[in-house]
Order: sequence, then C-alpha cells, then structure tokens
Amino acid sequence: MISTGEIIALSVFSGVYALIMSEKIHRTVAAMVGASVIMVLNIVPWDKIPKYLDLGTILLLAGMMTVVNIAKDSGLFEYIAIKTAKLSKGDPMKVLLLFSVITALVSAFLDNVTTVLLLTPMLIYITRQMDVNPVPFLLAEVFASNIGGTATLIGDPPNIMIGSAAGLSFNDFILNMAPIAFLDLFVTVGIIYLAYRSAMNAHSNRSEVITLSIMSLNEEDAIKDRMLFRKSIVMIAAIIVAFFFHDKLGLQPAVIALTGASILLLWSGASPEYALEKVEWATLFFFGGLFIIVGSLVETGAIDQLADWMLGYVHTEGQAILLISWFSAFSSAIVDNIPFTATMIPLIKAMGNSMSTYPLWWALSLGACLGGNGTAIGASANVVVVGMAYREGIKITFGDFLKVGMVIMVATVGLGSALIWLRYVGL
Amino acid sequence: MVKFTDLITRKFQNIAGSRYEEILKAYEEFFLTEEEMVIPDIKSILIPLDRYTTTVPDEVYETISAYPNARLQLVYMIDENVCRLIKDTLGEEDAKKFREKEERRAREILSRMRDRIRELGIIWAEDTVFGDKSEYVESIAGEYDMLIISKHYGSETAKTHTVSPVVFRIVQYVGRPVVLY
Repeated sequence: MISTGEIIALSVFSGVYALIMSEKIHRTVAAMVGASVIMVLNIVPWDKIPKYLDLGTILLLAGMMTVVNIAKDSGLFEYIAIKTAKLSKGDPMKVLLLFSVITALVSAFLDNVTTVLLLTPMLIYITRQMDVNPVPFLLAEVFASNIGGTATLIGDPPNIMIGSAAGLSFNDFILNMAPIAFLDLFVTVGIIYLAYRSAMNAHSNRSEVITLSIMSLNEEDAIKDRMLFRKSIVMIAAIIVAFFFHDKLGLQPAVIALTGASILLLWSGASPEYALEKVEWATLFFFGGLFIIVGSLVETGAIDQLADWMLGYVHTEGQAILLISWFSAFSSAIVDNIPFTATMIPLIKAMGNSMSTYPLWWALSLGACLGGNGTAIGASANVVVVGMAYREGIKITFGDFLKVGMVIMVATVGLGSALIWLRYVGL
Repeated sequence: MVKFTDLITRKFQNIAGSRYEEILKAYEEFFLTEEEMVIPDIKSILIPLDRYTTTVPDEVYETISAYPNARLQLVYMIDENVCRLIKDTLGEEDAKKFREKEERRAREILSRMRDRIRELGIIWAEDTVFGDKSEYVESIAGEYDMLIISKHYGSETAKTHTVSPVVFRIVQYVGRPVVLY
C-alpha cells in the first residue's frame, strides 16, 4: 500500500524531473521549488534535512570552484590552451590528440564546464586557421572532457556524489576508473579519426597562415598575473597531491578542497568577495534541492520498495553491474546525470542488504559519466561546446552528435563495464 | 516539439551564463583578426632609434631578414626639446656638450647596426635628426610600409609601464604596421 507521503514524494520527484528535462524553468528553480514543497509538507522533517543534504559533495564543489575562480584570473587556462595549440604545430592529427589528452587531463581534476569553456575558443580558432571541419575536433573535446571527468573522484559531479555517499577515496577512483578512462580516451580518439579521417588533412598552402596565426602566439602573454599564476599552479598541484593522501590523513575530500581554497585566498591576496561571488551558487542550490527531494523518497520508503522490486530480477553482482552501467548510461544520455545519480545512490545503498555494492558504485560512475556522451544534451560540457559552436556559426545538429555520440557511448561503456566485470566477477 | 537550437541556446545560457563572453574577451588579445591575417607587402621599413634604445635584439634582425627586398631607414633622434631646456637652464655650452654626446652615441649605435644589416644583404640608409621624437616619426611614417620600434623609445620605462608613452602615441597615430621590440 502506498502512503500519502510516498505519493507526494513521488509526485514532486517526477514533476521536478519533468521540469529539468523540459528546461522550461532553470533546473535550480525546479529543484528549490520541489525541496520547498517537501519541507513545507513535512515529508522530510526539518531535523532530518542535514542527514540528506550531502555536505561532502556541496562543499567539495564549492572549494574547487573557488580555487578555479582564483586561478582563472592568472591566465593559467589560456596559457595551457596556447601551449597546446603551439605544440600541435597546426597538424590536424596532433590537434585532435593533444587537445583530447589535455582536455581529459584538466577535466579529471577541474570541472568540465570550465575546462571546455576555456579550451573551445582556442580549438575553434586553430581549426579555422587550418581550414578544416571543426566538428570532429569539437566532438573529440566534448567526449574527452566527459571521459577525463570519469577518471577521478573530483572529475565529475556524479563521482563526487558517489564518493561522498559511499565513502570511496580518491585513490579508489584512480585505481578503478582511471585505467578505464585512459583506455576509453584512446578508443574515442580512434573512433573520431575513423569517422572523420577526410577532415584530418590540412591544406598544404595554409602553412604560412598557420605559422603566422598559431606559432606566433606567445603563451607568456596569457599570464595576467605572474605571481598568481605560480601560486595557482603550486596550490592546484598541492590539492591534487593531498587528494591522493586524504584517506591516509583521515580528511574528507571536501576538507582538502576547502583548505586549498582558503590557503590560495590567503596566499594570493585575491578578493574573497570576488572569488566567492563567482562560485556557481545556482549549481550548489540545485544539488541541495535534489538531495532533499531524493531524501523524501528514502524517508517515505519509496527507494526501499524500488530496490526490493529490482532485487526480484537482479540476483548477482554481475547482473547488477551490467544493469546499472547500461541503464545509467542510457538514462544519463537523456536526463541530467546529477539528479539521476542522486536517485541511484540510495537505491544502490538499499541493494547492499543482499550483495556487495562496491563494484556497483563503479558501474554507476561509468554509466552516469560516460552516458553523457550519448546525446548533445547528455552532459553540461556537451551543451557548452555545441552552444559555443552555434555562436561561432558552426552547426552541430542533434543528429550529428547522436551518430558519433552513441557509438562512443556504447564503445566506452561496453569496454568499461567489461573491465569492471572482469575485475569483480571474473570469467 | 522543442527546436534543438532553442533548447541548446537556453541550456547554454543557463550553464555558461556570462562566462563565455568574458573568456572570449580575454582571448581577443591573442587571436589575430582577419585584417591582421593578411601578410602586408613590405618594401620599406623605418627604424627610429634614440638614447633609450641602445641595444637592438637579434629578433629585430630576424624580422628584417624576412624582407630581403625592403629598403631600410635608420633614424637616430636627438630630442630638440631637451636641448632647448638645457640651453635655457644650464647655458649654451652644456647644450652643445649634450648634443655632441648624443651625436657620438648615434654614430656608435648606427655603426653597430650597419655591420649586422650588411650581413643580411639589405639596402639601408641612415640619418641623425634633431627634432621632436614623436612628431618627426609620425610625419615621415606614411612614407614607409612598416615601423620597427623599441618599447623604450622616447622615454624611460618602468616595471609597471613597459611601453613608453611616446611609443604609445606613435602606435596610435601611424596607420602602418608596427613591430615593437
């Protein structure tokens, strides 16, 4: 028998999901309105709100956003973009490979949207100078960003949420997800190359233009504040190193990020008003709202009932790995992977009564992060790159993206789930 | 059915906000415009020199070597206003000494440059001019296809202001490509 509370929780959850998908109103507004309904109707009592509000995720995101905001003003990202462009020497194949690797690497440690926002203008500029079709290069950048984000605990919001909820360490992610991301990146570049190899030929008569427009760029000119530039590099490196040892130090990842942000604020002398104003508060409130809405499903027992129903069909870890990775992948290709992951986390936790959930977290991370590659609206990085391309007069249609994106998604999730299966289930 | 472009535009605005415009603005400083992409046909180059530009780096000679058929004009400028100021405050004798010292410095610099330019096999001419450093350059710049000028030309520079105000003025007024070193 379904209780009234359960009906309200499910209705709010479905309504907010529908609003997020339709994009009729901002996703943050949808989540905040939904959470308000849950709290006003006391579906989740006020004293239980802190239990569902995952501060580990919210504060980790806030800390890293602050670090990026301060570092960004030094010109660090433009420096990386110019350096990558010059290393490629205007060779399309090198541009494809280098930008994919650099994007994946930066996305593994910093947020994907900032990474693609800062690298895409340079990529569009280079492809224009090379007089080649920019679409494969932009698609490779999107896929690389989502793949890079899969590799670490801090690379993509779903991983932050999974790590915080399941108590997984940074090194757990490095050991389980980084090898998959590494292999997937090269599979992706290979697929892009095969699909667009005719576009990989630069016009030989463009060498003079390429030399003038790319090789004459000076990465040193990108540095707006040399002291801040050095301090940002030192602090980002220190934060990354600290992440590797956070479990040994007994510190939560959010504590590392917030401490790093505080030290950088103190050391750089950056204005806290400015650095904190630029934190994406809308995203943080979106997370907060979602946690409360999903908390209402847990509180009313809806998640337990769903888990029981699922366990009627899924009996082994192997079946669960395949189901979760593929279901997550196709779902994340259509709906925002953040609310999806928020919903799946308590479901997987509930499945813990009858099987080990450890490999299931990796299946969820794999599907939620890489599923975003399936469609143009599957992940924020996709939307940003396609949106920037539109503004620059480069048309990437839903179909253009889907044709390559689905192949990449199936290949990368297939490879990833096979590796997780081999590791935790065996032949 | 929601139109894909509208959906992407709306989502893009929600995610990126004003950040994209800020980033594009930052990149504008580095990217060459269509106009800058056209390689100019250079047949004549003017290189103004003065007491603040005593060292000419190798990069300048490398740039000059890219135009083997161009005619090069080296002009060492002696500041007429400074001479007048010395004459009015310290007397004619000191003004004369200052001018002689400047002429000696001009001969040294032009001699050093002469040797390097000769190696490049480029036709050149040289002159020492007594006048206003910016006005003179602006008045003759139109006769040349390109200017190569030191950031320190015309006045002392500081760590915070690495380009002299005289150079700023010249770059603003001359309608010719300018290479700053």
